[in-house]
Amino acid sequence: MNILTILLLVPVLFGLIIILTPSSLRASFKYITLLATLIQLGISIWMYLHFKTGAAYGGINHEDQYQFVQKLPWISLNLGSAGKMQIDYFIGVDGMSIALLVMTSLVMVIATLSSWEIKSNLKGFFLLFLLLDMAVIGVFCALDFFLFYLFYELMLLPLYFLIGMWGGARREYAAIKFFLYTLFGSVFMMLVMVGLYLSVTDPATGNHTFNIIQMMNPANYSAQSVFSIAGHQTILGMPARTVGFVVLFIAFAIKVPVVPLHTWLPDAHVEAPTPVSIILAGVLLKIGGYGIIRICLGIFPEVATTGAFWLGQLGVISILYGAFNALAQKDLKRMIAYSSVSHMGFVLLGIASQTAEGISGAMMQMVSHGFLSTMLFFLVGVLYNRVHDRGINHFRGLSTLMPKYTAFVMIAFFASLGLPGFSAFVAEAFTLAGTFRSSSVNGLVPYWMAVCGSLGILLSAAYFLWTLQRMFFGPESLKGGDVWKIALTDLNLREKLTLAPLAIIAIALGVMPSLVFEKINDSVLSLIQFLQLK
Amino acid sequence: MHDLLPHISESLSHVFGSIRYFVPEVYLTLLFIIVLITDLIFGKRSAQLCRTIACAGLVLIMFKDLQQIALVVDGEHFIFSNMLLVSRIGIFFKLSIDVLSFVLLLYFTWDNKLNAHQKGLSDLYSITIASILGLHLMVMAVNLLSIYLAIELVSLASYLMVAYRTENAFSTEAGLKYVLFGAASSAIMLYGISLLYGFSGSLDIVFQSSIAQLSKVNPISSSFAVILVLIGIGFKLSFVPVHFWVPDVYQGASTPITAYLSTVPKIAAFALLTNFLPPFMLASSWRGFDIGIILSAVGIVTMIAGNFAAVMQSNVKRMLAYSSIGHTGFALMAVVVLTLQGVSAITYYLLVYSAANIGALALASYFTNETGAEEVEHYRGLGLKYPIASVCFVIILISLTGLPVTAGFTGKLFVFSAVYAVYQQTHNIWLMLLMITGALTTVVSLFYYLKIPLNLFLKRKEMPEISGIKSMNLLILSIIVSFMLILLGIFPDFVLRYL
Repeated sequence: MNILTILLLVPVLFGLIIILTPSSLRASFKYITLLATLIQLGISIWMYLHFKTGAAYGGINHEDQYQFVQKLPWISLNLGSAGKMQIDYFIGVDGMSIALLVMTSLVMVIATLSSWEIKSNLKGFFLLFLLLDMAVIGVFCALDFFLFYLFYELMLLPLYFLIGMWGGARREYAAIKFFLYTLFGSVFMMLVMVGLYLSVTDPATGNHTFNIIQMMNPANYSAQSVFSIAGHQTILGMPARTVGFVVLFIAFAIKVPVVPLHTWLPDAHVEAPTPVSIILAGVLLKIGGYGIIRICLGIFPEVATTGAFWLGQLGVISILYGAFNALAQKDLKRMIAYSSVSHMGFVLLGIASQTAEGISGAMMQMVSHGFLSTMLFFLVGVLYNRVHDRGINHFRGLSTLMPKYTAFVMIAFFASLGLPGFSAFVAEAFTLAGTFRSSSVNGLVPYWMAVCGSLGILLSAAYFLWTLQRMFFGPESLKGGDVWKIALTDLNLREKLTLAPLAIIAIALGVMPSLVFEKINDSVLSLIQFLQLK
Repeated sequence: MHDLLPHISESLSHVFGSIRYFVPEVYLTLLFIIVLITDLIFGKRSAQLCRTIACAGLVLIMFKDLQQIALVVDGEHFIFSNMLLVSRIGIFFKLSIDVLSFVLLLYFTWDNKLNAHQKGLSDLYSITIASILGLHLMVMAVNLLSIYLAIELVSLASYLMVAYRTENAFSTEAGLKYVLFGAASSAIMLYGISLLYGFSGSLDIVFQSSIAQLSKVNPISSSFAVILVLIGIGFKLSFVPVHFWVPDVYQGASTPITAYLSTVPKIAAFALLTNFLPPFMLASSWRGFDIGIILSAVGIVTMIAGNFAAVMQSNVKRMLAYSSIGHTGFALMAVVVLTLQGVSAITYYLLVYSAANIGALALASYFTNETGAEEVEHYRGLGLKYPIASVCFVIILISLTGLPVTAGFTGKLFVFSAVYAVYQQTHNIWLMLLMITGALTTVVSLFYYLKIPLNLFLKRKEMPEISGIKSMNLLILSIIVSFMLILLGIFPDFVLRYL
């Protein structure tokens, strides 16, 4: 059986076990889930180790260069005059997906470990958690647009309930806002998907197909179709391919999130329970970036090139706007949520530059931010669990009270602000290098965007260090007085075991970025080549 | 008179030849009589017996429907001097009507309020069978006269069903409103039919010759006549602007009756529309307004009005009523294109919508039976008390919204692809607007459908322990419906390959 299919089936299988386990054994649910995520991690590490590199494994627009592929006919309907509808169960990975897949599996383990704080309705929580787990893994593996869309939408419902049932005071508002925002993006994505499907025929079978890789080949578009490159069709007076790109981009930009479509994120993050915040920041935001690379760039490369300036522009706005907002926040979780907006801006900037450095940097930033935001949200969760408060100015001098906790916070903060030696530094340096080089190589992104990006790093140093100073240093002073002082115990073993691997990875990726670059390099080069050919 | 004599034997043999295409309807008529007589003979205690006979009869009729497929392998047949049409797609419409009616017949007694009716439910079964007969005729009707008769048969049965149990002033008012609106729209439709007959000199409206005749009159007058007929059909479909009766009637009628009215007559009316429209939309000799544009505009307005009005509702049945108006608008999208793919998409969409709507209303009955909840507010905190029913409710509502992995999603996808395929060839801006509205209203619909899960699960409320589950049957029905919706969401070709 295909290893990716097993990876997808593990959460389903363990979900069934949880359904069948009586509620009297509810204490065991978290261990069952932990086992599921650990097995997933094991499988994905095995895949990472067996992932072949080399020019023959670039992936992107070459179906035969994907690895661990499984392709089964799934829905095949005869539509009479319109030909046959061909939907395949088609999964596989290339360099872009393998890095994110390993990152996701690890984040899921951490999220499970932080689910220890969940006390009510355990059966429902872990079932939804595993469903979400399957959906995100599916998004990163799917190579059929229909399948991709299925997993993409399947994430929404579990998240709605996870935020809405186990969240904070304004959970209902945050949950529905998140749901509506994402659905708004994805229903229009469905229209573009249908349009693409009717435009593209599989050369092997002659049927219309949802195969993403076939959609990347301009020769597969029939001349009369809406999205044909040669056809120059229009939709409501605008060039059809531009409309298609913009619609897909908006759908993914909501997920990333790109300013001005980001307003769901602070609410969702703040109201969600810690494990869900971790998944949101660690994995879901990356689905946006991954979607832009795989689908927007892959299917509409020429529009991506002409619109590169605007993508970069939006990236820069996100970087700066997110950073300024983070500076102004009084709630620690909100501050970190805005820092996510800022950091994800680099992903967009790197993609816009369309240089090898830029796209490698963007990929690295996604992986690095996946781990770092997980760590940050876990740390906030630790504090919140003890005193149920997250106000930055409600704490002072925590370093004497919780020295080990402070040590991990410092690692996370310094890593996030891009200190050399940590993963975020490599990612941001590569992104900026790509942005600088872009104007001399392909002239897509001007210099000043790179300058603004650097300014973003400076600002991130400002808000992280300022927070560190306000909360952890200085004389000890807590809003809750002695009650809080007793409650604020230092990290326990479970928390240390959770944080330690994250800290190690943050440093390891900073010292040995080749852990990621080696695997993604061929795909990045292949993508650049593809973008230049168009 | 003497001239006609030679034709008599020919006509008679034609009539007799037609009967073999009319077997399910003959059986339905017999079933109606048997149920009626059973009711008369056994009196008040006959409800259970009537129900058994009706259900068993419907199973037999489904079987007869299936046998008809063998008759249409060589193409469509006009029977009874072009009064009715037997076609493959029509048989599938009839089959889905019968399957859904079968479920609904079972469901009638499971609703405590309807079941508590002092007169018993025996009459209701005979009325329902008569209505199903009308629906069958609606699906097959291609002559103006048969169209009118079929619609009237269904309407009369529906009036009786709505007013069958009037518990308070509100439902009495709803019943009366329904009759008045229905009578008025019938009159309008009849006026349109008489105009069409006058203009074309023929009741066989589906033939090119009568369209050619129509093209000789002023296009405004002939379009006016067609629009009047569409209003009559639209009353059954409940599209804007003839939808005013829907919210009150759906809220006022007993829940199983609402489930009946919101599903099967809609399927039949759409089937009728797919028979009635082609000559006006596809024939080159038609000189009147572009019916496609009128229907597109109606579809857009209906989607917007239905979905936005549903957002403001607090009563579950009323909300589902408005949402069903929205679904009518969405399905109209596929009628506008009227290709083979469009018709099969609409069959699938309606089947899935009806199953989900019956499931949703069955669950509304369930919660009313268990806790007396009728408003969305009353569902507060019930999710954790009735986990299975609530999870089913979520699945069903997700299907109604049209999200994966449910059949509602594949239904929407097929409608979109059917419309897109035509758009790709014609670049008709109305089709694009229809699709955009369809996508936008999907987001709106999520907002109100989610109110139910929101109250079930997200809002908390302390409440006394529940004492055992009483409505086991409804629960099983909704579990089956949810399971089917997910199964069809993953493998839509189970059904679609036959359409």
